[in-house]
Amino acid sequence: MLLFCLISLRFQQPSNFDTNSKIKAVFLYNFTRYFEWPSAKKEGNFVIYVVGKNDNLINELKGLSGKKKVGNQEIEIKHSLTFDATISSQIIYLLSDAGKSVSDVASKNKNKGGLVVSESFGACKQGASINFVVVDNKLKFEYHKNNAVKSGLKTNDDFKALAINVE
Amino acid sequence: MKQLRYIVKTTVFSLLMLLTISGFAQTDKLIRAQQLYNTKSVDAAKLAIDSVIQHPQTKGDFISWSTRAFIYFEIYKRTDKQKLNSELRDTIVSSLKTSMSLKPDADYESNNKKLLTSISINYYNLAKTLLQDSIKEKLSLKAYNKYKETFLLADSKASFLTKDVEYYNAVGSIYSDIYSKDRKNKEAQETAKIALFKVLELQPDNASANRNLGIMYCNDATGLIESLDYGADISQLDIIQENAVKLAKQAEQFMLKAYKSDEKNQSSLLGLYYIYRILSNQPKMDEFGLKCKNLGIKLDK
Repeated sequence: MLLFCLISLRFQQPSNFDTNSKIKAVFLYNFTRYFEWPSAKKEGNFVIYVVGKNDNLINELKGLSGKKKVGNQEIEIKHSLTFDATISSQIIYLLSDAGKSVSDVASKNKNKGGLVVSESFGACKQGASINFVVVDNKLKFEYHKNNAVKSGLKTNDDFKALAINVE
Repeated sequence: MKQLRYIVKTTVFSLLMLLTISGFAQTDKLIRAQQLYNTKSVDAAKLAIDSVIQHPQTKGDFISWSTRAFIYFEIYKRTDKQKLNSELRDTIVSSLKTSMSLKPDADYESNNKKLLTSISINYYNLAKTLLQDSIKEKLSLKAYNKYKETFLLADSKASFLTKDVEYYNAVGSIYSDIYSKDRKNKEAQETAKIALFKVLELQPDNASANRNLGIMYCNDATGLIESLDYGADISQLDIIQENAVKLAKQAEQFMLKAYKSDEKNQSSLLGLYYIYRILSNQPKMDEFGLKCKNLGIKLDK
């Protein structure tokens, strides 16, 4: 009569799939629809450059790059622990542990056609165009249109309606 | 007139004699049936006892019915033990019920109860086999209910709380497992949920049921996001996040209860860490991440 007892002690394991990384990847891909990059950045690969350490996010973005394109451009994922200004990219994603401050990266990116995305408190005030925030347990994003313009991007007004505007 | 009186007297006497002989014959048949049973000639014993329980002289005797139950039990053991629906088993139970209703003496009552208990254990084992080996939950539940019904005949005051909790937890675990391997199997998920909620109805703080439900809701939330297409638009993403948060909050309630009953349980700690990750609750993620680390539980960051 012990068997049922043993069966009931078996547990499933919770899935270790990183939902945040997937959501961020979907957001990043969405962002590509709302901005126009300078013509020089419309050639070659569409580079998403991740600064900082987040293996799950990098793997997720690699998954994205294998399945989607931006226009005719292949998506390429680059990453480093600290910001490397020599890496040319269409999106610079600064993780919370990225070495350099957002303002430093933003100033180096001026008119270079890189959309600076961050996930740190008040990052838009420091020069990021988009900053991920958590509102009611959901991932949302703040948007600073002027910062995007300063980076050399053409913006779409529809995008504002989807974001938390911080200007 | 004298002659008529003689004829009536003789007839009445003859009839009485016949009835007595017939009565003795039935009692002899009962003894014969018992002898055949003792010598393991159960098929012959069955024929004899079936005749005994039909006769007015012996059908009101608890010994006839108990004897019948034991004879049938011998045949049942040979052929029907693994069958959920068995006429032999039904006959045993009904014979024992009849015997019990005829107020048997202490020895017969005790033996009747032993046999009823034995039959109920057979049902219990069938419930286990049907659940674990054949994954036939409905049939298993039928066997399990039969186990309880039969056990109650032997012990009318029996409580099944512990057994019910064990049984429904087992159903919940097995079907959660099936569902976790095939997320499209919504029937398995529903079966698991019904069983686990049944456990919580009986024992609201049951750690196993709370944990399994917590994991189920957590994995449902994860599954929603995992299956999301990269090309999903932002409004669609918002709806998915909303639904995932609802599921994760449900998961949190169950998992916290499980965690309170055992603060070192690996599944509970991991579960809470992943639930708070879905909820983007960094302070709680850090709290449970640290607890996992302190216990040497490997986290996927």
